[in-house]
Amino acid sequence: MLEINNIHKAFHKNEVLKGVSIKVNKGDVVVILGPSGSGKTTLLRCINFLERADRGEIIFDNLRVDINTASSQDISRIRKRTAFVFQNYNLFNNKTALENVTEGLIVARKVPKFEAIEIAKRALNKVGMSDRIDYYPSKLSGGQQQRVSIARAIAVNPDVVLFDEPTSALDPELIGEVLGIMKQLASEGTAMVVVTHEMSFAQDVANHIVFMDDGVIVEEGHPKDVFSKPREERTKRFLSRILPYSDYDI
Amino acid sequence: MELNLDYLIKTFFLAITGIPTTLEITIVALLVATPISFFMAIYKIYNVKIIKQIITAYVSVIRGTPIVLQILIVYSLLPSLFNMAVKSMGWNWDVFSMNPIIYAYIVFSLNTIAGLSEVFRSALLTVNTGQLEAAHAIGMTTVQAYTRIVIPQALVVAMPNICNLTVNLIKGTSLAFMMTVKEITSIAKIEASFGYNYIESYIDIFLIYIIVCSITQLLFSLVEKHFRSYKSITKAS
Repeated sequence: MLEINNIHKAFHKNEVLKGVSIKVNKGDVVVILGPSGSGKTTLLRCINFLERADRGEIIFDNLRVDINTASSQDISRIRKRTAFVFQNYNLFNNKTALENVTEGLIVARKVPKFEAIEIAKRALNKVGMSDRIDYYPSKLSGGQQQRVSIARAIAVNPDVVLFDEPTSALDPELIGEVLGIMKQLASEGTAMVVVTHEMSFAQDVANHIVFMDDGVIVEEGHPKDVFSKPREERTKRFLSRILPYSDYDI
Repeated sequence: MELNLDYLIKTFFLAITGIPTTLEITIVALLVATPISFFMAIYKIYNVKIIKQIITAYVSVIRGTPIVLQILIVYSLLPSLFNMAVKSMGWNWDVFSMNPIIYAYIVFSLNTIAGLSEVFRSALLTVNTGQLEAAHAIGMTTVQAYTRIVIPQALVVAMPNICNLTVNLIKGTSLAFMMTVKEITSIAKIEASFGYNYIESYIDIFLIYIIVCSITQLLFSLVEKHFRSYKSITKAS
């Protein structure tokens, strides 16, 4: 469904992505792992043009976009098929929870208002925020804000949801509520690409693990294989640092 | 010293007739400055080369010179420049019979542009770019994101500074008497010169500015309260 080919991106002279390709099928949960600075977040941001890659190609079914020649229509087409969940939620502070969700429907997708409100209420119900729809973001906890931002992402019915470290800014006791919702979405067949450090989520929910380091994909495969018998030295080292109780032959 | 109360009251009501002119200059300056300074702020934030430097130079020239001097320069230079331009175009139009309030519009607009562009710039910077990215990510255009998300929040932050600037502008228009504009100060001063009742006139001017500026501040605080509603817990509760 979604294919990203040979993405290159440099900031000034620092090459962050050195030719990365990934494939996402319908219903896939792809988890991208890797040490900080490996380019995971940049890759995710390049997929919906929050960051413009220097070169590469994004293919969405029959929509093929060369990054160098992408027009603003191409970008808007891709953005309408994807949704993004940010590490810092980035809710619109001047809008209520409900308005945060309806905004993209009404303004960007021209959905009639009453219909947008129905869709938004359903999305907020799904993330367990029905009782807070009239609250402004400043009065919600981090976990609640992130749940609203997930509702905002799924309300537009995207083909794939991109999660950029969705739990990294949360207090430990709030992480569970967000991961729970992500698990539920995965079980319902929502395709997602997740950058995270939550290894339990990667092990239990992902059906494809991508391990990145230094701007390239070092290793990828089914979580069972990657976690139980990593092939590459760098993967082993990373996993043994993150999962201290595992013992890998290094 | 004895105050001439009759004169004081009479002149008070006479000087009040200058309020529309004062407000006219203020409002024209704000209306002219708002769109221009908004785009100046945007150009500065987005670091547009050359334009940014021109804007920075403009702001520092305006802010670095006393407004009295700007008035003197504009009022002594512009009429003859206009005259030259009109003559060279071959038009039959007497520049010197033009209402001097035009020059007041020009000076105070130039001034307000400089001040307001900095107010807007600092206010826009307080809205984190993440919200702009989030708006892009759900398919909104940059213009939609600015008008619906960024500007409403920036305005709340800017409101106290805009109020400050407006009050300063109102007070500053008192200098328009130098350009023979008939506003509050000049009416009262001219009146005083007949019978040498300067103290009474100054008291009148004093009172009128206090009243006008207090009402302005009150209006701004109401507007600010309205804009600030999203800082409350829920909508309209």
